[in-house]
Amino acid sequence: MTAELYTPEFVIGLLVLFIGTIAAAFPRPKNYLTQLINLEIPGWGLLLVMLHYNEALALFTFAAVSVLSTYIFVRVMQKKEGIG
Amino acid sequence: MGWGYQETMNDFVMVASGVLILIGMTAAIFNRDPFDKLISLSVLIAGVFPFIVERGFLDVAIATALIAPLSTIFTLMVCRRVRI
Repeated sequence: MTAELYTPEFVIGLLVLFIGTIAAAFPRPKNYLTQLINLEIPGWGLLLVMLHYNEALALFTFAAVSVLSTYIFVRVMQKKEGIG
Repeated sequence: MGWGYQETMNDFVMVASGVLILIGMTAAIFNRDPFDKLISLSVLIAGVFPFIVERGFLDVAIATALIAPLSTIFTLMVCRRVRI
């Protein structure tokens, strides 16, 4: 279960996770849509970090549930804007 | 021992994928139009796949490649509604 210390996907994943979290917390045009798209960036960073630890089942589950939560957010945005 | 053609090509592809991830992340954060952000996010996702394949998780790569575009489709749905 011990992985080697610094694989490239671990370093790049942590970088994407960190910068993407900052971008999702402070979106530049401050609206829901930008925040939702920026929220997908740290998800891929987290997927790369999971890949470093060889967690195949976690990768499956996270990819599926991430899309499900995106759909729910889209529905909530449509209700809030009063369209759809 | 030594650097055969296969190892050199593997390293080249991995470095190219890492550069693709960083370029996609930067473009997805700093673009302001939602459609541009979605295209840049697709560049980021395209850079993640060679890392999954390099680990040997071909089943995870298949599932993620099938599921990930759904997220783009859902976000595109709300993109169009907001613009009109």
